[in-house]
Order: sequence, then structure tokens, then C-alpha cells
Amino acid sequence: MILQFFLAMAACASFAVLFGVPKDQFFFSSLTGALGWISYLVFCELGAGIVFASLFATFFLTILSRFFAALRKNPVTLYLVTGIFTLVPGAGIYYTSYYFIMNDMHMFTVKGMETFKIAGAISIGIIFGFAIPQKLFQIRRR
Amino acid sequence: MSRNQSNNKEILTLAVEIGDALLRSGSEIYRVEDTLFHILDAFGLENFDVYVLSNGIFASANEDKEDGCSIIRHVPLSDVHLGKIAALNQLSREICDHSCDIEEAWERLAACKSIPEPKPWVQGLSCGIGCGCFCAIFGGGFFDSIFALILGIFLQYMRMDHENRKVSKFMTNIVGSAFLTAASLLLLNLKLPVMQDKIVIGGIVPLLPGIALTTSIRDLFNGDYLSGAIHLLDALLTGMCIAVGVGFVIIVYQHIPGGVSLP
Repeated sequence: MILQFFLAMAACASFAVLFGVPKDQFFFSSLTGALGWISYLVFCELGAGIVFASLFATFFLTILSRFFAALRKNPVTLYLVTGIFTLVPGAGIYYTSYYFIMNDMHMFTVKGMETFKIAGAISIGIIFGFAIPQKLFQIRRR
Repeated sequence: MSRNQSNNKEILTLAVEIGDALLRSGSEIYRVEDTLFHILDAFGLENFDVYVLSNGIFASANEDKEDGCSIIRHVPLSDVHLGKIAALNQLSREICDHSCDIEEAWERLAACKSIPEPKPWVQGLSCGIGCGCFCAIFGGGFFDSIFALILGIFLQYMRMDHENRKVSKFMTNIVGSAFLTAASLLLLNLKLPVMQDKIVIGGIVPLLPGIALTTSIRDLFNGDYLSGAIHLLDALLTGMCIAVGVGFVIIVYQHIPGGVSLP
């Protein structure tokens, strides 16, 4: 788990470089991503299933991004975008097209539905995360 | 307070320029609209309206008076640069605090716009490290991650090259994912102990439409349906392009005799 944390952090940090995140925000961007990924793993451990784990992890990630954004007075996008990459279903896209080509219609449907559900779960997670009033984050800043 | 025509026009131009730069760097619609409103308000314009789409800005001020002016701006979808968004956000904050007048704002805007992209080798290396790490966290072994790292570096150089030559984004995604799949299959064929699927999964992460997806959801949630739909379509098409690239190579591979059979 600790190894996963640092790997996720390194992964998010390098993406932060790629997207031109200002140097003083590297740490927070990558921390957000790493914590998002760890929370995903934790929710999976707790038996939430991939889709629900994605939902909860995105929700957590969004709240964390908003918290950091308020704390560091920067746009939320800075933290959210770099962090979300750990949760976007890249593996799902790969397996879906793979099974489609291999003519394994059963697995294709399973993986395809799963990918769509994950994408939907991420959307809902973000929406719920932003539904929390901004005031709560502003109080914490002081 | 009387203000001559050129001043009104200049304020509106400044605001739209800032909005343009924000939109180009991949900001969400709501932030651009909000920034424009605040800036125009801070400079004391009274009668103005702003309408922002993912690829355009419409703004007008004092339309009912003699010195009315309006600006329409087309902003093509382009690469994300979060550093610029942060800098512009800071600039608009200062304008709203009235701690920054028009001349200074123009200078600051030029400075924000000229924040450089990371150097090519930095981009390549960071993309490589990102791919390697993602490969590792998605279940790849040590060797898989190393290969993903190397392929990631190549991938980023290819993307930069395509960008310079104005190759369509769809082609870049198809070719990029096809290249990754082909390279991973080659490694598999060399009888190296690799998990081919994990290398590809780690490698395609930089191509994934994470930003488009996030932005589109946030736009939709804020009620900017049109802009949200534009970004959502972008995300879906990007995902499909990746699938096409991967699929195409696997089909071709299946027809090459003597390959290692896929699981």
C-alpha cells in the first residue's frame, strides 16, 4: 500500500509536469492524486466493487481538490485534473476493445458496461463533490 | 463618471483577451464567465454581457449607448496548461482587488501568456515516468514498468512532433495507441517475460481523455450544456480512437503467422 502510494504520487507528479502545473503546487497536486488512488484501493478492500469504489474515490478526490484549492487559493482544476488520471478507466477501454477484436462477446459486454459504469461513477462523484457548498471550504481556510 | 469610447473598448478587449487565454489553457466555462464578469465589474462597466462556449467568447458592453462595443472571439480547443490558468486566476484576483490598473494588467497578461511549455526532454521524461508508474500501480511488474517508461518517452516525442506538424488529434490518438500495442506485442514476441496488457494500459494513460471528461462534467453540472456536450463528445471520441488503435494492431497481429498466441 505504501509502495502504491508513492508510485501514484510519482505518476501524478510527472503528469503535473506535463500539464504545466506551477512548481509550488506539485506537491499538492500529486498528493491529491495519490490519496485519491489510495482511497480507491481502500474502498475496493472494503468490498465496494470497482464502480462504487470509483464513485467514492472520485468524491473524496473532488473534496480534497476543493480543500487544497481553497487553502492554496488556486483553481480547483489544478488538483482535480492531475488526480483524476488514476481513476479514469484506461484499462477498461483497452480490455473492451481487446475482447471486441477477439470476438469474445461475453467479456466485451462485461468490460464495456463496466467501463461505462466507471465513467458514470466518476461523473457522479465529481458532481456530488461540487454540490457541497463553497462556504464550508472557506471556513476551514481561516 | 464619464469615460471615453476607447477606454470602454480597451477594458472589454482586456477582459476578453484574459478569457481567451483562460479558455485556451483548458479552463472550465464557468470560471471564464465568472472571471470576465468580475473584471468588467471591477473596471466599472455597468451594462455588459458575456457568453462563453468551449470554443468561443461573445462579449458586449454598453450596447444601448453610443459608445457600445462588442467582441466575438473564436478559440480553438487546444492543449491544457494548468500553470497559465493559475497565473491568470491570480491576475484576475488582483484586478478585482483594484491593485492592478489597465496598463499593468496588459503587461501581466503578456507575461502569463508567455509562460513556457516544459522543455521537450522534460515532457518526454515526465511522460515516460508517468507511464511507468501507472503501469506499476495498475498491476504491472518491474520489467513492464521499465518498458512502459521507455514507450512513454517515445509516445510523448511522437505527440510533440504531431503537434508541430498539425496532425489531427484523432490521428495522434489512433497512431499512439497502435504504436504502444505494436511495441508491446513485439516485446511479447521476443519472448521477454512481460505482461503485454499492463504495458499498454500504463502507456495509454497520457492519451486518456481525463481532462475532457472532468471539464465536461463540470460544465454540464454548471448548466453549460452546450460546452459540456462539446467536451463530452471530445472525451468519447478520444476513447474510441484509442480503442480503434489498439484493436487495429491486434487484428493485424492475429493474421501474422508464428506469433505468440494472446491469452
